[in-house]
Amino acid sequence: MSTPARRRLMRDFKRLQEDPPTGVSGAPTDNNIMIWNAVIFGPHDTPFEDGTFKLTIEFTEEYPNKPPTVRFVSHMFHPNVYADGGICLDILQNRWSPTYDVSAILTSIQSLLSDPNPNSPANSMAAQLYKENRREYEKRVKACVEQSFID
Amino acid sequence: MGDEQESEPVIGTGNQDELIMQQQRQIEREISESTALVGELEPIVSLNSEYSNDNVYLEKIKDLSSKYKHIRRTRPDGNCFFRAFTYAMIEQMLENSNELEQFIKLIECSKMGLLRLGFPEFTVDDFYETFMDVLKRVRDIKNVNDAKKELHTLFNEQGYSDYMVVYLRLLTSGHLQRDQEFYSCFIEGGRTVVDFCHQEVEPMYKESDHIHIMAACAALETGVRVVYMDRGSSKSNIEHDLPEGTAPSVHLLYRPGHYDILYL
Repeated sequence: MSTPARRRLMRDFKRLQEDPPTGVSGAPTDNNIMIWNAVIFGPHDTPFEDGTFKLTIEFTEEYPNKPPTVRFVSHMFHPNVYADGGICLDILQNRWSPTYDVSAILTSIQSLLSDPNPNSPANSMAAQLYKENRREYEKRVKACVEQSFID
Repeated sequence: MGDEQESEPVIGTGNQDELIMQQQRQIEREISESTALVGELEPIVSLNSEYSNDNVYLEKIKDLSSKYKHIRRTRPDGNCFFRAFTYAMIEQMLENSNELEQFIKLIECSKMGLLRLGFPEFTVDDFYETFMDVLKRVRDIKNVNDAKKELHTLFNEQGYSDYMVVYLRLLTSGHLQRDQEFYSCFIEGGRTVVDFCHQEVEPMYKESDHIHIMAACAALETGVRVVYMDRGSSKSNIEHDLPEGTAPSVHLLYRPGHYDILYL
C-alpha cells in the first residue's frame, strides 16, 4: 500500500542512490521500507576514522512530519550516544523539520561524531573524558573503531 | 538526561528522550481519536456545551453569535492555526475563481523563493507538489459545493492535510527569514530568527503565536481577523486584524492555545 510516508521513503532512497553523500550509506531492509539499515564511516581526522558504524532507522507512518528513531547497532563510545545506541541529537527531537531526508539525517549524525556536544550528554562518562581527558577518550573510541570491524 | 550509568546494562528500555516522545504520542493519539482534522460547520451556540457553568464564557459566546453564524472546529494538535488558516482561505476562494487563480500563481512563485533561501529542493518539492495538487483538484471542480466537499475530504486525509500544513510552515519560515531584521525584535530569549524558525515554525505540531500569524499572512498576501475569547473581564471578545489595517479574508476564533474557523 502506498502511503505518504512510504512514497516519501522511496524518494529518499532514490536520492540516496543517485546522489550519495560521502561517508554514509543506507537502504531499506528487504521486506520493510519502514526499517532501514545504514552505515556511517568514521570521519577523517577524528578518533572515529576508519570505523564502519552500523545503524538502524525506524520510520512511522508519520514520517516526514515526525523524525524516525535512529539507533547505533555498533557499540559506540560518544558523549551523545546512549548505552542502547539511541542518539541525542536536536534534529532528531525538537528541531526536526519535515525538510530533512535520510541523507540529511545520516550526514548530521556523521558530523555529530566529529563534533560531540558534551553539554547535553547521553553517556556521561564519554562526555567527561571528552572534556577532561581527551587521550583516554580517544583510546576508548579507537576500541569501538576496532570493534566495528568485527560486528 | 545524562543519568544513565554505563555499567548498568539497558535491557529493552528506551532512553529518556524516547520515553517522553512515547508519552507525547499517546496524548496525540487520544486527541486524534476524538476530533476530526477539520470538522463540519456548527452553529456558534454549540460552544455552550463546553462551558455549561461558566458565565464569563457563556456571555462571550452570546457576543460571538451576534457577529458570527458558524464555527468549524479543527484538531488541537499544534497545527491548528496553519490548518485552519489554509483551509478557510482556500474555501473562501472557491467562490471567486480569479482569486484562486492568483493564489495558484503566488504559490507557483513561492517555491523559487524558498530555494533561494537555501531550503533543500528535493524535499520542498514534495510538499509543494501536494499543495499545488490540492489547489488544482478543487479548482477543476466546476460546482462550488462539490469543490468545497472535495476540499473538506482532502483536508481530513492526514497525508494531504499535513503536507498542506508543512508547506505553509515553510512559507512562513521563509518569510520570517527574508524579513529577519523586522521580525528579530519580536523574538524572545536571544534566539536568532533562523533558530526560531528551526525550533518553532518548521517542526510540525509547534503552536503558533502572533509572529507566525503575521508572517503567514504576509507570505500569502492576505489578512486575518482573530477573535480572542478568554476569561478576561470585558463582556465582548477582543478582535484583532493582522496585519493591522488589512481587510481580513479569514476569521479565526482563538481560545487560549487553540484556533477554530469562524463564519460570518
